[in-house]
Amino acid sequence: MFQLIARRTLLALAMILAASALTFALISAAPGNVAALIAERTAGPAASAELVQSIADDLGLNDPLPVRYGRWLLGSVNGNFGESLRTGKPIADEFAERAPVTGLLLLAGGAIAFTLSLIIGLLGAISNGGPLDKLLRAVSLVGASAPNFFVAALLVMLFSVTLGWLPAFAGSSAASWIMPSLTIALFPMSVLSRVVRVNLQEVMSRPFATTGFAMGYTRFGVLAREALPNIAVPYLTTFGAQFTLMIIGSIVVETVFALKGIGAFFIEAIRFRDFISMQATLLSFIVFFVFVNLLVDIICLLIDPRIRRQSNA
Amino acid sequence: MPDSLKLSSIAKWPWAVLTPVLLFVAVSILAPWITPYDPAAQDYSAVLQGFSQEHWLGTDYLGRDMFSRIIAGARVSLVAMSIVLAAALIIGVMVGSFAGYVGGRTELVLISLIDIILSLPSLVVALAFIGIIGPGYWSMIAALTMAWWANYARMSRAVVTSELHQPYIEAARVMGAGHLHIFCRHILPHVLALVVVYASADAGALVLAIATLSFLGLGVEPPTPEWGQMLVDGMNYLEQYPHLVILPGLALTLVVSSFNLLGEHFALKKVPKGLSKRRLGILKKRRAREEMNMLEQEAKA
Repeated sequence: MFQLIARRTLLALAMILAASALTFALISAAPGNVAALIAERTAGPAASAELVQSIADDLGLNDPLPVRYGRWLLGSVNGNFGESLRTGKPIADEFAERAPVTGLLLLAGGAIAFTLSLIIGLLGAISNGGPLDKLLRAVSLVGASAPNFFVAALLVMLFSVTLGWLPAFAGSSAASWIMPSLTIALFPMSVLSRVVRVNLQEVMSRPFATTGFAMGYTRFGVLAREALPNIAVPYLTTFGAQFTLMIIGSIVVETVFALKGIGAFFIEAIRFRDFISMQATLLSFIVFFVFVNLLVDIICLLIDPRIRRQSNA
Repeated sequence: MPDSLKLSSIAKWPWAVLTPVLLFVAVSILAPWITPYDPAAQDYSAVLQGFSQEHWLGTDYLGRDMFSRIIAGARVSLVAMSIVLAAALIIGVMVGSFAGYVGGRTELVLISLIDIILSLPSLVVALAFIGIIGPGYWSMIAALTMAWWANYARMSRAVVTSELHQPYIEAARVMGAGHLHIFCRHILPHVLALVVVYASADAGALVLAIATLSFLGLGVEPPTPEWGQMLVDGMNYLEQYPHLVILPGLALTLVVSSFNLLGEHFALKKVPKGLSKRRLGILKKRRAREEMNMLEQEAKA
């Protein structure tokens, strides 16, 4: 068991190393000279070639790629991500400021998606082919198809412009977080409710469900007692994938609602071709994705003895 | 009939699923002939109008006809989506099949590369590429292709590896068939059968990705009418003229959901047992894990 978890963790670390090395190599190969960009920022467009050269020497930009990667990775592990090419501020400071925003958004969105998808999936399974089931199915189809910037716009129209209940731009008040969280929750909620619904359907056709009925449990009773624990593994696996996908939602939502999070930082870095910030953000994304997947894997191992046995064999 | 098939009544009506997609394709192809106005023509005497006889869906802040722009936007989406899908399919099938066919260390390297790309959400990969090569229409196409091919490569490789050891391949080899012949005549059809079905389900996601990149200002550039970018323009007039946001948003949602429906329909009907769409996600994950285990064992040996 511990051996298995240790092996997964090692694999995850290897994944982080490989992915970060790949992004580092690609970004280093990008057209555009970092030293020239820095020189331009500090000394204006007429920066001399010597200044560019001395900056490149200072930053060690002329060293071979593996050396630069090693130095960058070591720095990042110690919390030193370098300085933004755009503002000159340390990226670590930006992260410290912005990570709570994105974190809160992901947690709120994830919690909403988790709760609602289970409720919708269960209601659909209880209704089983009835009008409610069909309606919920249509909702999840549209929810999985509507672009989240459009959803955000519709929410603003409804709650800010027409009803005037919520502020259109996220400030400090708790109410301002409602629309951004709802927006990023819609897509994962739709996909997950479908996973719940379809897997419940499958589990309900298994013999043990029939036994449950024979023992006199109601449909809800069998669903809750027998079926729900059985869909935990596919549900959690998809939840992990959807949770990481919410980063994309977060990038869009932070842009729409003018939130200062990691996603907005990433887009700014791309727009201004701020390679240092891009690298740092991508590294944080990679760590996040790999970590969430690892966590899901471990949870599945813990709750489902079948997977344990399979993996041991 | 199994329960899961009954669940989706669309399986019974293929035309109900196909019609919206065909309509989208037809409108896109006919766009230059059916737009009542030039979608780029500005008319300052008629800015920000509501629905009328002259302008069915009103006009935007430059007096451009919204109906024409929505139709022209369909064409832009379809063209961009088709280019990316075709390029990603070709690259993915080629790389994946090559990896599966050659095997050994080459396969290990390629598969690791594919796994790294797939460990990140496609749009994040695309954004990273745009960051490297700079924004613009063709960078968007290139970036999306780079993000999308890996999935097809993994599928192709899986099919090739499973077909490669079938008796009929051995028979063909004994009869003196060359590698290229065996691959093109016997293996490629299996690969394409799976990959093309999956691609049809992917088209919706791609339309969404194109719109999202354009919304963020990193895709299709302003004079060209594109739904995501029309929506950004409309955001400034959200309070007085909500139709500028609702129309492109609605068009996008309709097109993406019809592609998603089509994908689900294909998945239910054509995809081999155990691969219907509801399981694709789970299966992808599971297959990834199996591949990981295989890699580990290979590494140990």
